[in-house]
Amino acid sequence: MTGANGSKKVMLAVEHLRAYYVMRYFGTQREVRAVDDISLEVGRNEIYGLAGESSSGKTTFVKTIAAAIRPPLTVVGGSIRYSFLDRDIYRLDRAALSSIRWRHLSYIPQGSMNVLNPVRRVRESFNDFALPHMGLPKQQFSNAVIAHLERLQLKPSVLDAYPHELSGGMRQRVAIALATVCRPDFIIADEPTTALDVVVQKSVLELIREAQREIGSSMIFVTHDMAVHANISDRLGIMYAGRLVEEAPTAEVFRNPKHPYTQHLIASLPRIGDNSPRTALTGAPPSMADPPSGCRFHPRCPLAMDICRELAPEMIAADPHHRVACHAVNPVVRPGGEQMFAKNLGQRSGLVQ
Amino acid sequence: MRTYALYFVSRLAQFVLVVFIGINVAYLITHLTPIDPVEQAISSVTMFGQSSPEMVEVMRKALRELYGLEGSAPQQYVTFWKRLATGDFGPSLSAFPTPVSTLIWQALPWTVGLLVCSTLIAWMVGNFLGGLAGYYRRNILLKALGIVAMSLQPIPYYIVAFILLIVFGFLWPVLPISGGAEMNIDRQGFAFAASIIQHSILPALSLVLVGMGAWFIGMRSLVSNIVTEDYVTYAELGGVDRRRILFSYVMRNALSPQVTGLALSLGAIFNGAIITEVVFGYPGLGTLLVRAVNAGDYSLVLGITSVSIIAVAAAILVIDIIYPLLDPRVVQG
Repeated sequence: MTGANGSKKVMLAVEHLRAYYVMRYFGTQREVRAVDDISLEVGRNEIYGLAGESSSGKTTFVKTIAAAIRPPLTVVGGSIRYSFLDRDIYRLDRAALSSIRWRHLSYIPQGSMNVLNPVRRVRESFNDFALPHMGLPKQQFSNAVIAHLERLQLKPSVLDAYPHELSGGMRQRVAIALATVCRPDFIIADEPTTALDVVVQKSVLELIREAQREIGSSMIFVTHDMAVHANISDRLGIMYAGRLVEEAPTAEVFRNPKHPYTQHLIASLPRIGDNSPRTALTGAPPSMADPPSGCRFHPRCPLAMDICRELAPEMIAADPHHRVACHAVNPVVRPGGEQMFAKNLGQRSGLVQ
Repeated sequence: MRTYALYFVSRLAQFVLVVFIGINVAYLITHLTPIDPVEQAISSVTMFGQSSPEMVEVMRKALRELYGLEGSAPQQYVTFWKRLATGDFGPSLSAFPTPVSTLIWQALPWTVGLLVCSTLIAWMVGNFLGGLAGYYRRNILLKALGIVAMSLQPIPYYIVAFILLIVFGFLWPVLPISGGAEMNIDRQGFAFAASIIQHSILPALSLVLVGMGAWFIGMRSLVSNIVTEDYVTYAELGGVDRRRILFSYVMRNALSPQVTGLALSLGAIFNGAIITEVVFGYPGLGTLLVRAVNAGDYSLVLGITSVSIIAVAAAILVIDIIYPLLDPRVVQG
């Protein structure tokens, strides 16, 4: 694999992961290919950002790597290897899976302000989730929880509150504290700040960064908000219609996007001092029940070539640490031996300053 | 704690208001009926022979006084509340001169015993099984139970009562089909208790079967909504103990509306099973009420209605008071 962090230890290696929603209606089978052939690596102490528009498969992907899927979503192929596991996460039995949760792998789900049981005090939620994983006597555990909350600048009094007595931002912070209290090796955060206003968002992001730095864990951070990625992610993967289309260090993605979709995405961001109108992509993201052949972006792509309709591009390192899945960027060697390049590479530069 | 005290006082005030209005409505309705109990009593006395008009007039006056009917309407109303304050509903008109309160006190333990037990059993079993069925949706046994519950639930309880009566009273006569207990038996001791239980099996079963079906279906749909809540999926993801999830996360959250339902059906037991009592000849309030209505005994009707109003309101009050323990969000609302 073209790992971007060859020097660092790889915490998570996902290879050719495919997860489909498989549904049967009256004998006919329908598949929605929500995650189609995704490979990526996350290094130790790294925050890997995952971006893409709604319904591009971000949440399905992180649910799948967290082994948090239930039918009709099923893993069809590929492997998910964590460094703290000796085998694929889907090879674990229920008890083993539940024993690595929180201690090694924890998950901050979408809408994390609703993850606390409304009829239980926060303290009881901490006991339910973390106590069995910590293996500490109750008194010591309670001290550890208080110490953890204080490190994250939360008052220990939140433990005695019911969730409805806390504000949305506060609940989100408590959920983050709950997900990090066991000092997990790997944290999966799915849109943890989406429902918050920008002021609270900033402090929650700082809290996540703080928790991640302090524990030294790795993280996959999902959001569609590119500004949040610019703030928090070390590396950025861009998803489109269930596939990873580009991956590079965050600054590189913003400075030098290579995939036409990423270029449009970056070009659509507002910039100080730039008043030129933003061009929007025509068309809508494709249905993943019936995705376009070849490259899934080709119906909307200004650079689409014949080959894009036929062959799905692979993620190839265009530069070191910069992988792109695009025929226009990476020349394709056809069986006949003929090389194909983008018709007009210069056309793209007009999209980005 | 202060919010809770405030909550308690406001609920108590509501209780008093509801009881007052309810009893007034019942008073109004019973006193607006065209049946005059005095004339009924006189006609039943004079049916068997002539009485002199003077004697009838004396009788009428005496009866009016006894029934609390002398004086103007406002005076009667005040007298009614004065009597009620001491727990006195006046004499029964059909079982004169037995006081209404005595009749109610005799019938009350039967009704309360039968209905509280069957309602609680139906509630507990129905909710527990319904909760399991909602949580373990793939379990064949629970699915089958769901179908049984679904087919039992819409059948009126008195139809079930008749079916039970036919099956266990005539086809396979193993259980007593009438009365509250064996007659001519020492009203103390084990034999009497056993006889009560034996007599209550059929009426209770008819109520439990139907009631359980309703609770089962309600709880199952509540639970199947709650299992998709974020906090449940998250707890499953977090490796929280499965039994803890089932009870503290799923059932606990589904229980709040069911507890309200329990309160309402506990309150409604005073008029909820009239037909069951009549079918099984059970000596409870339902049988008493039917007899009172047929006899035009409106002080007895008013007495039973008042007890029923107080009971419903009290049940709701009790549930309201313990509700914050179940769902801490209520006090703020």
